[in-house]
Order: sequence, then C-alpha cells, then structure tokens
Amino acid sequence: MIAFLRFEIVRTLRNVRFLVMLIAFPALLYLIYAQQHGMSQGLTVATLLLVSMSVYSGMGSAMFASGPQLARERSNGWMRQLRISPIGTPGWFAAKLIQAILLIIPGLALLMTLALTYGHVHLAAGRLGLLVAVLVLGTIPFCALGLVIGLTFDSQTAQVAQMVTLLVLAFLGGIFIQWSSLPHGMQLIGKALPSYHLAQLGRNAAGGHALGLANIAVLAAWTAGLAVVALWRWRRESTTA
Amino acid sequence: MRTASADAGPAVVFRDVVKVYNGRVTALDHASFEIARGETVALLGPNGAGKSTAIDTMLGLRTPTSGQVRVVGMSPADAAAAGKIGGMMQTGGLPEGAKVSELIGLFRQLYRGRRSARDQADLLELAGLTELADRRVEQLSGGQAQRVRFALALAGRPELLFLDEPTAALDVEARRGFWQSVQAIAAQGTTVLFATHYLDEADANASRIIVVSHGRVLADGTPAQIKAYTSVRTIRFSTPAPDTSVLLGLPGVGGVTADGDAVTIRSGDADATLPALYALARPVRGLEVGGGGLEEALLALTHDDDHSSAHPPALAHPDRSSRLSRSSDASQMTKAG
Repeated sequence: MIAFLRFEIVRTLRNVRFLVMLIAFPALLYLIYAQQHGMSQGLTVATLLLVSMSVYSGMGSAMFASGPQLARERSNGWMRQLRISPIGTPGWFAAKLIQAILLIIPGLALLMTLALTYGHVHLAAGRLGLLVAVLVLGTIPFCALGLVIGLTFDSQTAQVAQMVTLLVLAFLGGIFIQWSSLPHGMQLIGKALPSYHLAQLGRNAAGGHALGLANIAVLAAWTAGLAVVALWRWRRESTTA
Repeated sequence: MRTASADAGPAVVFRDVVKVYNGRVTALDHASFEIARGETVALLGPNGAGKSTAIDTMLGLRTPTSGQVRVVGMSPADAAAAGKIGGMMQTGGLPEGAKVSELIGLFRQLYRGRRSARDQADLLELAGLTELADRRVEQLSGGQAQRVRFALALAGRPELLFLDEPTAALDVEARRGFWQSVQAIAAQGTTVLFATHYLDEADANASRIIVVSHGRVLADGTPAQIKAYTSVRTIRFSTPAPDTSVLLGLPGVGGVTADGDAVTIRSGDADATLPALYALARPVRGLEVGGGGLEEALLALTHDDDHSSAHPPALAHPDRSSRLSRSSDASQMTKAG
C-alpha cells in the first residue's frame, strides 16, 4: 500500500496540470492580492487570502488524487490490472485518502511561506497549527468527492465535471468572492457546500475563534454521504462490469 | 516455496459457467473445463466467442451469472488478493506519468511478502525492457507497452498466468521473443492460459487447446487432436436425384446435405470417400473439395454448432477421448513435477 502511495504521489507531482492549477495559480493570486490593506471578517486581507487560497488548493489537490485521472484509468484498463493485483479494495481506498491528504502539502507549504514572508501575516503557533489541522482533515470530503467523480464520469467528461465542481465550490463557497456579496439564492446553495464550511473553519482557526460544531457536522455529513456513493460506484463496477 | 495443500487440486475449475450481459447477450453458455497445474492451455476461438469473458471471470473481474469458477483452489478474488494469479488483459492501459522501472517496481512490491517477487533486472530482461527502464509509459509504442504489461503480469511470480490475446500489438519478431519468454515461464512450473485467435500460436505454444464458440466449449484436446479436424473436407458436386442414405454410407462420410441436385458431403477421410463416390457409377459433375487447415475446421465446428441438427463431422467431438488423454497427460505432468 505504501509502495502504491509513493508511486501515485511521484507521478502526480510530475503532472503539469496539477502543478499549475493547484500550486502555482493560488500562489499567484496570493501574490497579486495579499498586499492590499484593510480588514475583513476580523482578519487582515493577507490572512483571509491565505485561508481562501489554502482551501482552494487543498480541495483541488484532494480531488486531483482521483478525479479525471481515475476515470481515464478505469476506461484504459489500468484499474483492471490493479484489481487483479494483491492491493485489494481497502488498501486502494486507504492509499487514495492518504494521497489526497499528502498532496495538499506542497500548495499549503508554498502559501504559508508566502503569507509569512511576502504577506507579513503574523499568526501565533497555536493558530497556525490549528489552521493546518483544519485544512488537512477538511480535505477528506473532497477526496471522497474526487472518487465519486472518477468513478461516475467517463474519461471524456470527468475533466469537465471536475473543473465545474471545483469552480462552483470555490465561487459559491465564498472562496474566490465573499459569500455575503452573492445573490440570496446562491448564498443558500453556497451554505450547503462543504467548501463554505471548510473556509469558515479556516477563518475561525486563523482568527482565534472556536471552531463551529455545525461546520464540522456538515463536513462530516458530506464525507459520509460521498463515501457511501463512492463505495456504491466501486461495487457496481466490480460486479456488473 | 509452495505448500502441499496449495498444490492440491487443479489450477482452474470452470464448471457450467453462464454469463449473460444486461439480461440479453449470452457470452458464456454453460462452458466447462478444468486445467491441471503446470499445463499450458490455449483458449481458441473467433472474436466474440467468449474468450475474454471467460478470462475475466477467472481473474475475478466479472462475476458469472451462474456456475462455478475456482482458481488455484480458491475464489478468483481470494487468489488475486493472495498474489497467486497474474494477468495480461486485452485492454490494459498504463498510468500516465510513471516510468517503466517505477511501474514494475510497484508491482514487485505489491506482491512482496505474499510471493517471492522476481528480481527487477530479471523481469526487465525477461520482458525485453532493459533499455526502456527510464522511459515514461506515455512515450512507449504499442508493442513496448504490451511488454510492460507482460512484466507486470509476471512480477509476482504467479502460479497461474492469464494472457488475453497477448501478441495483438506485436510484430513477428517480437511475437517470437514473447513466446520464448512464455515457454520459459511455463518450464518453471507456472500454469499458463492464453486466449488467441491465431491458430499457429495455439498449436506452437500450448499443450492443449480448448476451442470455444458462442460461449460454449466445442472441442478440448491436444493440438494434434484439434488439428485432426483439419482432415475434415467438404465435398461438393451435383448429381441427379441424389440418395443421401447411400452417400452417408460411403467411407469417411460424417454428413450429407442435398438441395435438389446439389450435394454437400462432409468427410473425415476424403481420400477414401472420393474413390467410393466414383465407384457408385453415378454421374458426378462439378466436384469441388474444400477445407483443410484449422481455420476451416473451426468454421466447420462453428457451423455445426449453429445448426446442431446437422450430422457432426466424421471425427465427431473429440471431447470424450481427449478428456481421457488429457487427464493422463495431467497425471504424468504431476508426477514429473
């Protein structure tokens, strides 16, 4: 399982799309906007942007661990080759989860470095640690979401599905634009999305506030729901294919 | 080292297996065969005969609608989890972004602990990939990718190796090298089951051929027995008011059909049939003798299968005799191994 995990991470880090979309792009946005002055939601712009970009990079990276790549490998037969190897279903799922968590590290580390130097963000070690913990654990529902996309869509449509999903999560969840400035209907949708709640948790952690139990509950519910769908898709594929 | 209990029993039990897709398409229709340990068996048949479906069910990738499938004494899923089987499937893409050496290293490690994995250098050598080790998989040609998949199938030193149309993307030269490697693997005691529609491949590389068509096992025997079908000839001619019962009595004749003056005879021994036919002293016009070659034999078999009311060819199904001879082969092999 560890060999498989290392293998998957090495080849993801060679993927140009991954590096550009989920590491370079949020870092670039950070460089563009972080030196704006002012406060918002009790945080400096530089801190708020750190949370937003980390959430974007984190959820994108977690979804990248499976997503369109998984859809391609289902259709080209690679998944069949893996399924007759001794890795087994639990090992494969565990590897995908750990891969998702580990793959958020490069983007997160880059953003943190930029924030602490270029952005002059000052966060106490405790707050910083809590923020990292929130971001790491908060990627789990997005890992499940990537699995659902990769196991549901075919190799042609998964790429589009992934991009649309990521953009909807980012815009309606209040990551690229402030949630409160969205039209009312979109606010309602946004508030149901896991990205909204992860961003809330991130801002609370960075601002030194208590983490909202409701936010955690919604993320847990998304995780459970998506995991059930992913398992169902997996079963279906291995019994009827 | 294998344990005595793991060695007990056949490598494959495939009993009365039915696979129906979407409740409509019957890919396997009560197919049955058994494969003893150490055998090299070809699954031979035209496209759409059910070869791939049969291999997929033995690999645990598909669940049969009914019937029993056991490999190395366990369910296909358990055999895969235990690292006892290796397979090279017909459609086998490789994961982008990986190097050949990484991919083979991964499979060696997936199998490590369960089986003694092959040495990386040996594996590269065996599959003819030594020079390509640092190449990314997306830069490989079709034939090279196929060799990588062969290496992956062998990485865990499987007891049972499945090869589904393994030489489809290989040129003549590569094909020869490939079969040399397979024979080397088989000589080490690995049971090999391969699907092919190349008759020469089945003949040259298998100790036994199972002919499938329309999801059924049509014939099962040594290459020599299967090739005996090549002596089946189709004799066509026209004669006024043919008497089929007389024609059926001619030596070697297995089947006669008459349509007006046009007569078709299937004979297992045309050399004996023809003189006897002329000895009838009836006018015989436009005589043609067709057939010969395994391809025609397969066509004849498949044809009989389609129209089961017709008489079987003179040699009939070798099922019974071949099964007897096969089990004696198998016992010899067990003794030898």
